[in-house]
Amino acid sequence: MNAPLEEDEIQNNINVDLWKRIFQFALAHKRLLIPLTASAIALSVIESLLPIATKFAVEVIEFGKPVEALWFPAAFYFGLSLALSILVYVFIRCAGSISHHISHDIKRDCFKRLQELEFAFYDSQPTGSLISRLTADCDRLSNILAWGFLDLVWGIFFVIAMAITMLILNVELALLVLTTIVPLVFLSSFFRKRMLIASRQIRKHNARITASYNEGIHGVKTTKTLGRERENLSEFESMSSDMFNASVRRAILGAIYLPLVVAIGSVGSGLALWYGGANALSGDLSLGTMIAFMSFAGQFFFPINQIAMVLAELQGAQAAGERVMGLLATYPKIKDSESVIARIEQHKSSVDSTHALDGYANRIERIEFRNVGFTYNEKEIVLDDFNLSVKRGQTIALVGPSGGGKSTIVSVLSRFYEPTSGALEFNGVDYRQRSLDWLQSQLGIVLQTPHLFNGTISENIRYGRLDATDEEIESVARIVNAHEFISNLENGYETVIGEGGARLSTGERQLISFARALVADPQIFIMDEATSSIDTETEALIQEGMQRIFQGRISFVIAHRLSTIRSADQILFIREGKIAEQGTHTELMDLKGSYFDLYLKQFRRERVSDELEAS
Amino acid sequence: MTSSNSESSPPQPKSAFRQISALIARHRWKYGIATACLFLATAFEFFVPLIGSATIDHVLDTQDGQSNPLLDRVIRLLGGPDRVESALWIPAVAMLLFSLAGGIFNYVQKRFAAQASDGICKRLKDELYDHIQQLPNKYLDQSQTGDLLQRCTSDIETMRLFLASHVVEIGRSFILIATVVPVMLALNAKLTIVSTFLIPLIILYGYFYFKRVKAIFKEVDESEGKLTAVVQENITGIRVVRAFGRHDHEIRRFAQPNREFREKRIQLTRHMANFWAPSDMLNLVQIGLALVVGSYMAINGQTTIGTLFGFLALLNIVLWPVRMIGRILTDLGKTIVAINRINEIFTQPVETRNDQVALRPDHPVAGHIEFQNVSFSHSEDRPTVQDITCVVEPGQTLAILGSSGAGKTTLMNLLLRFYDCDSGTLSIDGMDLKQLDRSYLRDQFGVVLQEPFLYSRTIEENIRFGSTQAQSRAVEQAARAACIHETIQNFNDGYKTEIGERGITLSGGQRQRVAIARAILRDPPILLLDDALSAVDNETEKAIIEALDRRRGKSTTIVIAHRLSTLAHADKVIVMEKGRIIQTGTHETLTQEEGLYQRLWNIQTELQSKLTA
Repeated sequence: MNAPLEEDEIQNNINVDLWKRIFQFALAHKRLLIPLTASAIALSVIESLLPIATKFAVEVIEFGKPVEALWFPAAFYFGLSLALSILVYVFIRCAGSISHHISHDIKRDCFKRLQELEFAFYDSQPTGSLISRLTADCDRLSNILAWGFLDLVWGIFFVIAMAITMLILNVELALLVLTTIVPLVFLSSFFRKRMLIASRQIRKHNARITASYNEGIHGVKTTKTLGRERENLSEFESMSSDMFNASVRRAILGAIYLPLVVAIGSVGSGLALWYGGANALSGDLSLGTMIAFMSFAGQFFFPINQIAMVLAELQGAQAAGERVMGLLATYPKIKDSESVIARIEQHKSSVDSTHALDGYANRIERIEFRNVGFTYNEKEIVLDDFNLSVKRGQTIALVGPSGGGKSTIVSVLSRFYEPTSGALEFNGVDYRQRSLDWLQSQLGIVLQTPHLFNGTISENIRYGRLDATDEEIESVARIVNAHEFISNLENGYETVIGEGGARLSTGERQLISFARALVADPQIFIMDEATSSIDTETEALIQEGMQRIFQGRISFVIAHRLSTIRSADQILFIREGKIAEQGTHTELMDLKGSYFDLYLKQFRRERVSDELEAS
Repeated sequence: MTSSNSESSPPQPKSAFRQISALIARHRWKYGIATACLFLATAFEFFVPLIGSATIDHVLDTQDGQSNPLLDRVIRLLGGPDRVESALWIPAVAMLLFSLAGGIFNYVQKRFAAQASDGICKRLKDELYDHIQQLPNKYLDQSQTGDLLQRCTSDIETMRLFLASHVVEIGRSFILIATVVPVMLALNAKLTIVSTFLIPLIILYGYFYFKRVKAIFKEVDESEGKLTAVVQENITGIRVVRAFGRHDHEIRRFAQPNREFREKRIQLTRHMANFWAPSDMLNLVQIGLALVVGSYMAINGQTTIGTLFGFLALLNIVLWPVRMIGRILTDLGKTIVAINRINEIFTQPVETRNDQVALRPDHPVAGHIEFQNVSFSHSEDRPTVQDITCVVEPGQTLAILGSSGAGKTTLMNLLLRFYDCDSGTLSIDGMDLKQLDRSYLRDQFGVVLQEPFLYSRTIEENIRFGSTQAQSRAVEQAARAACIHETIQNFNDGYKTEIGERGITLSGGQRQRVAIARAILRDPPILLLDDALSAVDNETEKAIIEALDRRRGKSTTIVIAHRLSTLAHADKVIVMEKGRIIQTGTHETLTQEEGLYQRLWNIQTELQSKLTA
């Protein structure tokens, strides 16, 4: 489904500085921007010369020249027409290409920045709005940059060129006709802005109607059971009435605006006829010139309308511009520090299998949380003075109520967040002194919802290590017991799994995400509620391979399946950001505390669901 | 029932064109006024240059006296050549006045056209919404929600564009042509032919060009879809991307569709440039022809400067809108597809179509429910429920246990008449369900569905839905009974907290509890709870069951559940398997009988003793 387009208020001022920054994207395409500008200017000049052809033709007739004299106005006119068509071709090509190039570039930069930003950024941004930033916002900006720029250049130069041409033909008449520009500018800017606002209103109402259909269709059963059909319909009708009123209002604005500017055009033509006619009668002005003036007067509307429209659009798209530029001005907070970069530089030549790229040992023997505290916003403490020491080969199970801080512990360990107090040490070195890339390539993570990408199964597994061979992929698939179901698929490992893995069951998706996490042979293995959404059968399959998965790694498991928890070396019961109970399964059972209660409840639940699934 | 729509005979499938004309016919007087105004407006608009022409010919350029009857009349209307010569402001003011008059008629025309077109769209949307609400569940379950939604939104939008903009544009262009030809003919017949013979070519060029490049529009849409899919996939899966440190890989993955979209759109731009440049050229050539041939004729005395001026001005008014026609005509195909898709929904009969008798007693039912040999299947070959016989007395609680797919939810659907049973009878208080008015029947129930649906409104509105008259105190009481009152109080806006897109997201358990409060508030004779406590934790479940227990006797209650703690309170328990009832009894008898219930019970007790030992 498409992300909802964010609708913004139309801002009152044009933020010149912002648009200057956005315009940098256009400046990168000078090869197109220069011909675009040139063709817009040339076009405006040619268009302002077209009425002159009529003048020449009329003068041929007026002054009774021979028929052969017509060749000049004819050649003049058709020459201009040809040039005009060519210029139209050039500017459409240039403006279109620039617009799409800019759109491509802005999207590329935004996408790149999004890949670098840390979890905390994503926590504060709804997915939908990020998607619309990358699609609708970028397209809107690129349109304005190319077409808006074109219209602006063309419009301004057209007015100037017409004014100059008129002034050359006859100064007094020109000044007279030019006065009609003033009300044109005023009316255009007045109406254009209101028309833009009205169009937005229509879109807003339309979005509400879409949402309402959506709700109507998804909630139809509930609606029927509540007998709410009539109320729903009348609510819907009031929405569709709003939409109707907004559409009619928009139409009326246009219906007033256009006749008004046409009337102003007639005033100009009338002035030309009146004043020019008098001069023609007295012989001071040719009839041809007067006729040219009459058609000039009717044409001022076009450029001024365009300029007003672009300016209104700029105001309307400003918020989109701010969002996009705001994203590009956001830099990742979690990244390698200066000293780490220096170390990486220093050890560039001496990287081998025992040393990581930052010069420290590659092998992780010991991980220590030292008084680790974490808070998102200073008010709510998520982790408080957390201490833990884990050795290679150990498995830690984290249990406890949701919201207690279990996920935060593994996120801090993965350095998706950094501790706000205390430190996390790898082999005694603060992990902020280590390379981020190195750390994250040592992680194998399985999340609660197995998010797979559209592509084949082998591509998805290979996501864990891009250079894994087909044999290696098959062997990890065997470890997690996924090989069997994969081989049974029509195309085996080359089966395309659809968007989000839609063609597989949740259990199968989770098996693949296990294989994906393992293929890189990570030193740290993390399961974040990885078995909570899968069926008993898949659970059993994973369980089988579990010991081999944990062997020789440091594993953190957030789970509520008992089989997974029981075999852990240490179980931590986390509540309110603190360790409430800690020990092995037997130790904690003897304690008869929170873990004991939890175990009892869960045991019962698992047995019952086994029973129900079996029958 | 809810509208006149359902009472009329089911709509017959119509051809798209007949459908459109039927829609337009409903607003025929508005369209009629708009058309009349458009004719008048066009006439006035055309008059403006004619005033210029007449003035030029009769006052400013009197060299050759070839008089034109139309321009003669115009100048006489302005007071005759002599008068105008001494007062040139007269034609100037006349031009303004005629232009204003044209403007006024244009305004009226646009207003009426907008009201008619948008009125049609509004009505169509309302009817569609109404119709969908009344469609049988069988249809709704089988159709894909996404597809249905698309018909309601993008197809309707295509239609709206057609009615509100295309119909008007096409009408306007044809009226312009129809009006300009007689005016031109009155000025000069030969010049008329020269000035209009490219117009059909201009229209046809547009039509065929866009027909030919239609495929590229689709390609652009598709590659945009691909790009959006990549973005969406990446951002929803950003945690996976970060977890594997795959940013560079993702950036590369994004680059390709991003580039492809750019190339496709640049290709489209090239097509556009290829179209507009020759199209503009054609227009300019048409005007140029009029200019050169007209001038030639004027030199030979076959026409006048004024007439030439008039022709050029008229062409400028007519040509530019006309060249859009070809493009609009190619869009017609899209509109027809959209209309047909919308029509497919309308031709689906509503669920009440075969209801002959619709009993609507004026009092609520007592709650005596009886299933007699009820069988039902979604498809021919496999029965969903089979031979169900079971009685629930008023005020009793019936619990249904069974594995998923055993047919429990189907029984609920049959009771609510989302489906009608194939054989056997289902009755309430001795009345056959099929004889009862559906809305009356559903009014007798308070229902909590397996996956409760909440509307994107405030919590209070959600609870109040279905019992609009309820007092705030009653709402609160219901919320307390459903153990959600305190949770609601903790939200920033309390009961006024918005749920859904614009507000907060509730957890599964919270949603269930709101739905329970909503059902309780209706104070229904029959309460249906379909696995309504599955996401609620044990303590809360206990409290809710106690609250429901206090209502015992007030409603007949049917509960589907998996936890014995929920089932144990029931007056009667049925165990289902593969669509049949395999055991009936109470908690006491079923714990003694070998079967699913006993096995579940054993797990519970066995543990208790084993662990507390």
